[in-house]
Amino acid sequence: MPSLGTWLAAFFTLCMLSFLYKDNPFFRIAESFFAGLSLGYYIGIVANQTLKPNLVLPLADNFSANWHLLFAGGLGVMLYFRYIKRVAWVSRWALAVYVGYYVGVNMMQKLHGEVLPQVGDTMLSLSWSGIGTLWNVVMVVGVLSVLIYFYFSAEHKGAVGGISRVGIWFLMVSFGAAFGYTVMGRISLLIGRMVFLVNEWARPLIGLIT
Amino acid sequence: MNLERIMQIDRRIVYLFVAAGTILPIVFVIGLPVSITPPVQMAFDRMEDLDPGDVIMVSFDYGPSSAPENAPMADAALRHCFSKGIRVIVIALYPLGGLSEAVNELNKVVAEFPDLEYGVDYVNLGYKDGAQAAMRKMNENIHEVFPTDVRGTPISEIPLMREVRTYADLELCFSLATGIIGEWWANLVNAQFGLPVIVGPTAVSAPKYYAYLEAKQMAGLLGGLKGASEYERLVLDKYPDLERVYATPGLYTATKGMDVQSIVHLIMIAFILFGNVVYFTGKRRPRKAA
Repeated sequence: MPSLGTWLAAFFTLCMLSFLYKDNPFFRIAESFFAGLSLGYYIGIVANQTLKPNLVLPLADNFSANWHLLFAGGLGVMLYFRYIKRVAWVSRWALAVYVGYYVGVNMMQKLHGEVLPQVGDTMLSLSWSGIGTLWNVVMVVGVLSVLIYFYFSAEHKGAVGGISRVGIWFLMVSFGAAFGYTVMGRISLLIGRMVFLVNEWARPLIGLIT
Repeated sequence: MNLERIMQIDRRIVYLFVAAGTILPIVFVIGLPVSITPPVQMAFDRMEDLDPGDVIMVSFDYGPSSAPENAPMADAALRHCFSKGIRVIVIALYPLGGLSEAVNELNKVVAEFPDLEYGVDYVNLGYKDGAQAAMRKMNENIHEVFPTDVRGTPISEIPLMREVRTYADLELCFSLATGIIGEWWANLVNAQFGLPVIVGPTAVSAPKYYAYLEAKQMAGLLGGLKGASEYERLVLDKYPDLERVYATPGLYTATKGMDVQSIVHLIMIAFILFGNVVYFTGKRRPRKAA
C-alpha cells in the first residue's frame, strides 16, 4: 500500500496534470499549495542553513571575535524597513550596498569569465590545416554575421543586409538546437512524474488489489 | 477524408498519444542503445584522470523541479567517485530543494557503498544562500562559508575538511545545475580561480554551456537526460560491479528515461509530419478548384 506521502504526491501530480484537460479548481489548489510550500521551505532553509550557522551561532559563541557580522545582519534587517512608510528610505541604503556588491562582482565576472575567453576563443586560425579549418571558418563567419545582424547603426541594405541575412540563418540554427533541447527537457520532467505515478503509486496499488 | 476536421483535431488526443508513449516504455523497459558524445566523454575522462584519495566538490545546484534530469547525473557522478575512491564534498547552492536533493541522492548512493565513512570519505556541508557570493568566498576560505556541516557539526571537527580550506585543495567541481548557478562555476570559479569544472545542466540550458566548453572553461558537459544516460553508460562500462545497483527493479535511471524520450520524440515527429502533410494537401486543393 502506498504511504500517505505518496498518495498526497500522486494526488497533487494528477491535479497539476488535470490542467491539460482544462483549467479547474483542483489545478488551482495544487498551484497555491506549491507556491506556499516553496516559500515556507525557502524561509526555513535560509534560517537554518545560513542565518543560524553564519550569523546567530558565531555571535552567540564568540561575540568579540565576530561582532563585525552585525553589519551584515543589520543590512539584512534594514531591507525590511520598506514596509514602514516613515522609515522606508532606510531600506534603500541596504539595497544600495547589495546592488553595489553584485555590480562589482558581475562586472569582473562578465569581463573575465565571458567576454575575454569567448572573444579569445573566436580568434581562430583561418589558414588551411585540414578539415578543422572549415569549422573555424563557420565559427568566425557565424560570429561576425550575427554581430552585424545586431548592428543597428547602419541600414540593413546591400552588403550589410546580405551579411545580416546570413546571421539570421545562424541564429535560426541556434534557436532550433535550443528548442530541441527544451522539448527534451520538458519531456524529461513528464517522465519523472510518470515514473513516480507508475512505479511508486500505481504499481503498489495494483499489487494490493490483485 | 475531411481535411478540415483533421486540422481541427483536439490537442487532448495528442496528449493521450504522448501519455501512452510515456507510460508504456516505463512499464515495459526497452533498453535502447546509448551512443557517447565528446562532451560527456571529456567529463568522464577528466574524472578518470583523478587518483584515489583526491577530493572533489559536488554541488547540488538544482531542485525537485528538474530532478528527473539532474538526479541521474548526480547518482552516476557519486557512484563514479565512490567506485574510484575519490573523496567528495557535497554542497547545495540552489534555494528551492537543492539541499533535499543533496541529502536524498547522497544517502541513496552512500547506502550502496557500505565501507564509506562520513567525514572521511564524504561530507555534506549543506545549503548556503547567495550562491555567487558563497562561490567567491570559498576561494578564500570554505570554512567561513560553511562553519558547520548539514548536521551542525563544526567543520573543524570533520577530518576531511581539515585537509580542505580553499579551491586550491580541490581537484575539480562537479555541478549538477538548473538555471544560472552552473554558469557561475564556469565563468566565475573556473575563469577567476582556475578550478576545473564539469557541469551537468538541464537540457533547456545545455546549448549555452557549449560556448564555455569550446572556450575550455569547462572540463566536460552532461546535457540533460541524454548526457546523464551517456555518463551512466560510461561508468557502467568501466565499473561493471555497479550493474548490481542499476539492475535494481523500479530504479529510475537516465538510460531507462531515454527509452521514453525516444518514443515520445518519434510520436512528436509523426504528428509534425502528419500536420504538415495535411496542411499542405489542404492548401493545394482550393488552387486546383480555382
